Amino acid sequence: MNDTPSLELFEVSKRYGTHVALDDVSLKVPQGSVFGLLGPNGAGKTTLIRMVAGITGPDQGSISFFGEPMSGEHISALGYLPEERGLYKNMRVGEQAMYFARLRGMGKKEAERELTDWFKRLEVDGWWDKEVADLSKGMAQKIQFIVAVLHKPKFLILDEPLSGFDPINASRIRAEINRLRDEFGTTILLSTHDMSSVDELCDHVALINNGKKILEGPVSALRENARAGRIELKFRGNLIGFTAALGAGAILHDALSHGDNIHDVVLGLPPSIPIEQFLKWATSEVDVLSCTPKAVSMDEVFLHAVNAVTNTDPS
Amino acid sequence: MNRWLIVVGREYMTRVRKRAFIISTLLGPFLMVGVIAAILFIGVSSTEMNSKVLIVDHNNLLTYTMPGEGDVLLPSCPECFPERSFLEYRFASKVLDTEAFLESDFTAMIELDDGIMQSAKALLKYESAAPMKVQSAVKRDLGEAIERLRVKSESTLDYDTYKKLKVRIGLVTQNIVTEDRNIENKSAIGFAFSAFMFMFIMIYGMHVMRGVIEEKSNRIVEVVISVVKPEHLMGAKIAGIGLVGLTQILVWALLSWLLFLGFGVYAETSGLLLDLMGEQGSQVASTDFMTFIQSNEELGVLLQVNWVMMLGWCAFFYLAGFALYASLFAAIGAAVEQESDAQYLLLPAMIPLMFSYVVNIFIIESPDSTLATFCSFFPFTSPITMMVKLSVGVPWWHVAVSAIILVMTVLLLVKLAGKIYRTGILMYGKKPSLREMARWLMYKNR
Repeated sequence: MNDTPSLELFEVSKRYGTHVALDDVSLKVPQGSVFGLLGPNGAGKTTLIRMVAGITGPDQGSISFFGEPMSGEHISALGYLPEERGLYKNMRVGEQAMYFARLRGMGKKEAERELTDWFKRLEVDGWWDKEVADLSKGMAQKIQFIVAVLHKPKFLILDEPLSGFDPINASRIRAEINRLRDEFGTTILLSTHDMSSVDELCDHVALINNGKKILEGPVSALRENARAGRIELKFRGNLIGFTAALGAGAILHDALSHGDNIHDVVLGLPPSIPIEQFLKWATSEVDVLSCTPKAVSMDEVFLHAVNAVTNTDPS
Repeated sequence: MNRWLIVVGREYMTRVRKRAFIISTLLGPFLMVGVIAAILFIGVSSTEMNSKVLIVDHNNLLTYTMPGEGDVLLPSCPECFPERSFLEYRFASKVLDTEAFLESDFTAMIELDDGIMQSAKALLKYESAAPMKVQSAVKRDLGEAIERLRVKSESTLDYDTYKKLKVRIGLVTQNIVTEDRNIENKSAIGFAFSAFMFMFIMIYGMHVMRGVIEEKSNRIVEVVISVVKPEHLMGAKIAGIGLVGLTQILVWALLSWLLFLGFGVYAETSGLLLDLMGEQGSQVASTDFMTFIQSNEELGVLLQVNWVMMLGWCAFFYLAGFALYASLFAAIGAAVEQESDAQYLLLPAMIPLMFSYVVNIFIIESPDSTLATFCSFFPFTSPITMMVKLSVGVPWWHVAVSAIILVMTVLLLVKLAGKIYRTGILMYGKKPSLREMARWLMYKNR
């Protein structure tokens, strides 16, 4: 895989009047990744996405796209599904999809072929001549998704792609997102509030809060980081004796006794002690039933990160 | 450019193929002709019920008593009271009293007195008002009968000679410089053009605003302007909808022309033309429709107007004037989220349009006044005022200057409106004031 990031923001800022929507944000989106853009409402996600989609430009800083400064030439390589979306009421489904396909530079024949294909894939074939007014919200969203991905963009922007879908269709769309990445190497910038979809889809994430980027990196690394050396240990033995034996070697975060001398504990290991070394010691002290790194949800990752920022930031 | 044309194509096609557009475009001229015909028809059909007029002639001024039968009077000049399908005369020497009149089958009663020879006035009594057509027939018939009497009593001429000698002057007016004739009638045609101009700018300008609001409120605009620059989207929308209006204008013009020719053929073949000429007392005996139109005082002007020139300029001033107002409407549409919020912004934009239409009523009276000249140069009024000026004849440089001012203003305004549009289209949740919209003009590009 090419090392040039598909998208790079360099010290980008954007103001609306006195309101600072984005403040000195730098980002690198690796090629072929599903990059989650996360943050609370009003954090600046939409502003960032609009810039990448080519709707607005930065006041300061620069945006490059596959190593080149972002320009109108990249329109065909971009796909965009905005968060709040609609369709033209006075056009039929098929011709509407054709219109957007042709705006993205597709030929008529090619667009027709791809559309037929996608309509089948998402089980909306037979909708070609439907009036938009006759579509349910979920149906309309499928069409909008198709419109965004139809021209096989190298870079796809999805703003809350799963909101409004029922669980069955949400998982179908999730599968399509994964397929686009795996089959076509599409890079996907995905903005969402839904942490479970981050867990399932994203391999990189960035967290934006108050117009500033406060976290960025591969999901696995961020998780490892947020885990902060915590492990979950299940053993049979004396809890008090075990705790005393631990001493200052590790921190006891949590403990749960099940009776029959079986205990669940959460321990924080200092970075200097690898987990194997700790296990060797523990098996000599107690009867270890299981030992796993603590599972950290993305929610926890972000709470951890947001708290870290608010604690150190005097404002 | 290619993408721009795709957007223009969408704006155009989605409107042109609408059933409402097709119907109004194809039926428009027929409807207009239909309305005029209906008015005429109502006028005619109301006289369908026969009027029966009783003329009471005490002193046998216009009548004589038929020998043998006591009280039956006959006109001394039967050709003065011809038989008509809608009008019948009866003569009597005694007035009916009200009760008797109401009971009789007479619809009207005229009592002649001796004074009529001098006063030329008569009193027509009715139960239900006599139609205009009946009244004018009675006036003409009675007038001719009195005229005969007068001629007979005051000169040695016989009536036919008198009629030949009688003169009615027709006044033809001509501008000494442009040599344009009969501008009064032509300016009426110009006024009709300007009324259509007003209507089209208004109707299709609203289309632009509604289109912008639709795209903004359902957020399609985000997808489109990620591909096409917002200014270009606005321009494409104005161009596409402007062409829809132009299509309608051209189809209407073509259909009206065909309808006019069709009517001519109908009039020639059905004998209607002869009836019309007979009714108007036209001296030109012709069965050719065009000759008839030409010889007619009011209709003749139809052949003196340079229709191709008028239509050409109409198309130009429509497109430019439409672009001018449509860019205002687009900026307004971008600033609001629903149509009802647009009202307070629409008013200032529409005032000049309304003004130019209303002021036209004065301008057709005197097309060369200072007001008319000013309005024909001022870009917000010129598209409408120029229609009147062009119809009565205007120096070429005048048209050129007006056109150049208009085009320059359009270019400037489209640019400014584009700035407001660009900012407004992505702004949700607040109603901007005019001052705030002015501030958007200062925002940096992109």
